[in-house]
Amino acid sequence: MGGAMIEAENLGIRFVRNRRRNLRLREMFIHRGNRQPAAGVFWPLRGVSFSVAPGDTVGIIGRNGTGKSTLLRLIAGVLIPDEGRIRVGGAVAPLLELSAGFSNDLTGRENVHLVGSLHGLSASFLRRHFDEIIEFSGEQIAKAIDTPVRHYSSGMKVRLGFSVIAQLQHPVLLMDEVTAVGDADFRKKCYDTIDRLIAEGRTVMLVSHNENDLTRFCSRGLYFDGGRLRVDGTIREALDAYHDVVRP
Amino acid sequence: MTSGVAAVWSHRNTLRLLVRRDLAVKYQQSVLGYLWSLIEPLGMGVIYFFVFGVLYRSATDRHLGDAAESYPLFLITGIFAWMWTSSAIGEATAALTGQARLITTMNLPREVFPIGRVAGRFAEYLAGLPILVGVAIVYASLDKIEFGVSLLALPLAILIQATLLIGIALLLSSLNVLMRDIERLMRLVTRVLFYATPIIYPLTLVRDSSLPDWVKIVYELNPLVGIFQLHHAVWYPDEFPDARLLGVAVGGSLLVLLAGWWVFRRLEPAVLKEL
Repeated sequence: MGGAMIEAENLGIRFVRNRRRNLRLREMFIHRGNRQPAAGVFWPLRGVSFSVAPGDTVGIIGRNGTGKSTLLRLIAGVLIPDEGRIRVGGAVAPLLELSAGFSNDLTGRENVHLVGSLHGLSASFLRRHFDEIIEFSGEQIAKAIDTPVRHYSSGMKVRLGFSVIAQLQHPVLLMDEVTAVGDADFRKKCYDTIDRLIAEGRTVMLVSHNENDLTRFCSRGLYFDGGRLRVDGTIREALDAYHDVVRP
Repeated sequence: MTSGVAAVWSHRNTLRLLVRRDLAVKYQQSVLGYLWSLIEPLGMGVIYFFVFGVLYRSATDRHLGDAAESYPLFLITGIFAWMWTSSAIGEATAALTGQARLITTMNLPREVFPIGRVAGRFAEYLAGLPILVGVAIVYASLDKIEFGVSLLALPLAILIQATLLIGIALLLSSLNVLMRDIERLMRLVTRVLFYATPIIYPLTLVRDSSLPDWVKIVYELNPLVGIFQLHHAVWYPDEFPDARLLGVAVGGSLLVLLAGWWVFRRLEPAVLKEL
């Protein structure tokens, strides 16, 4: 399995509901005696093993709350598993939120440089591609590039965010419902960009509820239910399994 | 720990970026901008000078030794260094909670956030140094102080202080995610620390006082005592901490750094779930 890009081995993560969320000193002192360690513990994901080869396009399918986004976060490294291992063989571009990293008080221009650098793009690369990024994001943003992002509409922020992300060179892309935003015009650009990225041979993990997106972009499907990987096959097989549950 | 250090080092660019962003955001919306980082400590200095340099003048002079003739310099030396300490501690508690969206969507070493707070406040301290040096030059030209090798105490003080502050920042930022009380508790603790450290008064005042010996021992276990003695020793060589005090400062700071790093590592999985 030396060639795998992403490899999960018996992956599991545990969350604690109710208790210990915002544990406060008061609670620590008052409720010390009557702890119930099992109360509220649940596993959004458990015993998950799979392997993704370079260039694979994988759709992740499942109902709400079955651990899809949690899986992406584990691959991205912004969550640490309690059980098992996750191994990623290359730099990961986590597109979990398109306007992630934006600082509302800074201008669009400053944010492009900030977010681009946070994603690991070099300053000279950003300078060279700056015009391209702005052109991609559309006329509305080009006009407002020197005003603070605070004054942008949420759609504008998302568009600017996606324009930066479209420049990333990372071999692994994680996308969480990114195509669900923007107007028809922008969505077309998104689709073209994703097509281009896939054609370049990137490894893509896509979480979506949109069947058209899934069948269009993905060749492989992982179907999750109840925190467990139920189907690991073609995107068709995964979607069929999903439909069997949703529409019996 | 070594892997963590390497990760932070390889992201030093990110660290610089975040610090620059914080400073840009902080000063963008105020008219006086970075001058605030000077006005605040200078204002505090004026207040304490009024109380201890004017009202309680005779009591203060008796204990100051070399510094009796230049109390304002003594004061602002301590207060500038203190501003770095207190604002770093204050902001470090919210370093992770305030950046929750960034942390949950981008894979950066989480250590850069608290460390960035310490570095950002250090930049403000550096911005204030010319003022401090200016005042010192005035007193030197009046023959109240002399410049000498003791100036080398400054880099040493900064190094130990940075070690201590990074340790505290790592500790508090991760704990604060799980227990939001930390933020409030620290406001009180920093106030206590301010008076429990020889910042506005000389250490001899405590040593010569009639306090019971165990209080004095506890007092000198605070690593900040040695650090601030070093800051004062830059201009007043007779304030240079003795071996024991210096040992407590260096050892204590390293211990806090190790403890902070360890706690941060241990809490990281829980912190990431909580954010």
